[in-house]
Amino acid sequence: MQLDYFRLIDRIVELDLEARTIIVEAQVPQAHTIFEGHFPGFPIMPGVLLTEAMAQSSGWLLLGVTKFERMPFLAMVKEAKMRGFVSPGQLLTIEAKIEHEGSGFAVTSAKARVGTELKCSATLTFRQIPFPDPSLRVHMDAVANEIGFPMQAMTP
Amino acid sequence: MSSTFDQIATIIAETCDIPRDTITPESHAIDDLGIDSLDFLDIAFAIDKAFGIKMPLEKWTQEVNDGKATTEQYFVLKNLAARIDELVAAKSAGA
Repeated sequence: MQLDYFRLIDRIVELDLEARTIIVEAQVPQAHTIFEGHFPGFPIMPGVLLTEAMAQSSGWLLLGVTKFERMPFLAMVKEAKMRGFVSPGQLLTIEAKIEHEGSGFAVTSAKARVGTELKCSATLTFRQIPFPDPSLRVHMDAVANEIGFPMQAMTP
Repeated sequence: MSSTFDQIATIIAETCDIPRDTITPESHAIDDLGIDSLDFLDIAFAIDKAFGIKMPLEKWTQEVNDGKATTEQYFVLKNLAARIDELVAAKSAGA
């Protein structure tokens, strides 16, 4: 994770466009200023960041499904459940699945685990729009390369 | 009125917390019921699921923006119900 850049995802482990699923890994940093305030003596990942990590995981899946033609923007969070504490240094494994592909929007479900222990889950809705700025597309291509987005998965 | 209208009225009532008895076939989803675009995403999701279709919201929006259609054609509920019936029929014909 690069929390200062709001990049929550480190590596794409598996992308299955036919099954509409993705698995990613996210390494929670051992130390960060966030943990100084959240909370002193008991550092844990804020629930909003866990939700964002699930959203970014879903986002990469949706980018794959649209072949990077549309950028997904988080529009709705439902049933977000923080089921257990996530501590500095832990490795999150996040699974996301597309539940519905609508016209200009999509709904996903996501779960994050540490080991086998389920830590959080949510149902997320995204608006999908053409990239609003070419530089954003360039940026997403660069990040995709860094996190091991399997570009070959998008070719028939 | 068609059962399609009843179904979408129930979806709207439950999704947007609008009293069911205030929703009529003549209601305009945006102008009369005050449904915003985010709530409409929720409604579209529920309608898509309930009827097994994919409402072409982007196409409809484009037609309205281009002046080729009015919002009433798609967002007055009796008309929305008719559009949904057409989509369901088209899906059945293609199945």
